[in-house]
Amino acid sequence: MKELREVLYVIERDVKMFLNHKILLFMRAVWFIAQIALFGLIASRMVIVPNYFEYYAAGITITILYSTAVFIGYDIYEEAEHGIVEYLLSLPISRKKLAIGRSIGGGLRSFIYVAPLMGIVLAWIGVRNPINFMIAFFSLFLFAFGVAGMSITIAMGVKSSDKFDILMGALDALIVRLSTVMYPKVYIERANPFYAELANFNPLTFASELFRWGAGIEQYLTFEPLLSVLVIVAFFSIFTLIGIIFYEKRLEGGGWQ
Amino acid sequence: MISKLIQRRKNLPMTLIEIRNLTKKFGDFIAVDHLNLSIEEGEIFGLLGPNGAGKTTTLLMLTTVIKPSEGTAIIGGYDIRTNPDKARKLIGMSFQDPKLLWVDTILDVLDWHAKVCGLSRQERKNRVEWALKELGLWEIRRKKIHALSGGTRKRIEVAKILIQRPKIAIVDEPTAQIDVVGKHRIWNMIRALRDEGSTIILATNELYEADELSDRIGIMHRGKLLVCDSPEKLKDSIPGGDVVEVRTERGIPREVLEKLKKFDEIVEIAVIESNYLRIHLNRVEETVPKIMEILFNEKIQVLSVNVTQPSLDDVFLHYTGLTIEEAEKLSPVR
Repeated sequence: MKELREVLYVIERDVKMFLNHKILLFMRAVWFIAQIALFGLIASRMVIVPNYFEYYAAGITITILYSTAVFIGYDIYEEAEHGIVEYLLSLPISRKKLAIGRSIGGGLRSFIYVAPLMGIVLAWIGVRNPINFMIAFFSLFLFAFGVAGMSITIAMGVKSSDKFDILMGALDALIVRLSTVMYPKVYIERANPFYAELANFNPLTFASELFRWGAGIEQYLTFEPLLSVLVIVAFFSIFTLIGIIFYEKRLEGGGWQ
Repeated sequence: MISKLIQRRKNLPMTLIEIRNLTKKFGDFIAVDHLNLSIEEGEIFGLLGPNGAGKTTTLLMLTTVIKPSEGTAIIGGYDIRTNPDKARKLIGMSFQDPKLLWVDTILDVLDWHAKVCGLSRQERKNRVEWALKELGLWEIRRKKIHALSGGTRKRIEVAKILIQRPKIAIVDEPTAQIDVVGKHRIWNMIRALRDEGSTIILATNELYEADELSDRIGIMHRGKLLVCDSPEKLKDSIPGGDVVEVRTERGIPREVLEKLKKFDEIVEIAVIESNYLRIHLNRVEETVPKIMEILFNEKIQVLSVNVTQPSLDDVFLHYTGLTIEEAEKLSPVR
């Protein structure tokens, strides 16, 4: 019980730290609403894809879940800059518990933040099958942990805030655009079959597919929902594990730039 | 185990920290060079040296924040290399530079620290409130870190360890940036922490602080431990470090001077005037009464006696050839 409590304290700290970034969170929410209420609404009148607005709203929800889960990596750099890494390392808890707590905290906080936004989207586009949605909801929960694990892995791997910033900027551009977040796969294929192949390996594709399936937007689904669930579980498992290992092994020794 | 019990029974000091050949290299630079040291349970051990002497690096190795390049330390029976998690359970550290995130409030920082150190809800509430009040932070407890001065941030850093009350409390320059009243308050709290059962390692470059608080002092310079003993013994270790100036009613005859020179403790006698001597000696407390007895027997009336004991700066100068300020200027890490 004491062991679990220590992990919970680490999670609690990450969640609180995230919620302390009030301006950032407010601006992200403004961005999200603008994307849906402005871009989504207008673009849906331009494109020939039926129900594009619903399709886009679901996709942009996954984007914000991804971008907020990634934020844990930036927090790690902020901590390094303020010497908090040394403080965390000096605490009477094991490195493993610290690493597990960070990984869970990073995913959980983004989910806590995105859940109300998700609720707004669902209120707008409606939920046709609550059971499907619960499955999708749980999978997205795991997806957020996977993304947090991936961000921790990259942050601990490069140990340079400049490199991390550039890398995450490039990754964000590619991972969002080479997925079915904003456009159905059939249109990606028409543009370039190679892009479509890459989208098949993109966790954002599977996360957005699951969210649409859960919300009942099924006309553009490419994969079986079960496959999407399995991919998300694998993504979560691999990156949470690697994130924990990287955090535990590379936190010591300094070398932060 | 049995030897520990015997030591406890006999009230002998127990070694809580055993540092063996502890070394840290950063590339070619040796920050800590084969450090060997024992720290007894319940003592305040002062680690004195200029900035860049290797004090903080030593402390970071003891808290398992950084790994030694060579050697190890045994903390409460746990090797920091093979059992870092268990060793760390015994330790709390107050860092030289406050480790605080700017968006947190004072209360957030201390409450979370108390939680993660395993304090129960009630204990946490009591100790956090107590520390905040004692350190004059209670009124501003909901202020965010970015709005606070350097001195206030330092007090928060010290508060962490006072709340934690670890078995081994490591305090790295606890009163840097703190005003004189605050310094005395923190010193008293460090003493109280020791009285409640903590062993304290105090790293400082303030000579007066080390002298005031420490039971024993280890002087570090360029990564090496030069000498380690109680402040009194360190001062006594300087040959002729104590100075006694004696002024008498009449001139002191040569044969009296010869008698004085026979004392082993007396290193040098300078006759400033015929009735005014400056005597360089050791163990001033024992030697001055003997000098007075000789003068009394010779019926020489003493008008004044002025005793000057060496400071830790003199000790540092004696062992390094430099004052602590000069050593800081020459430090490779500045």
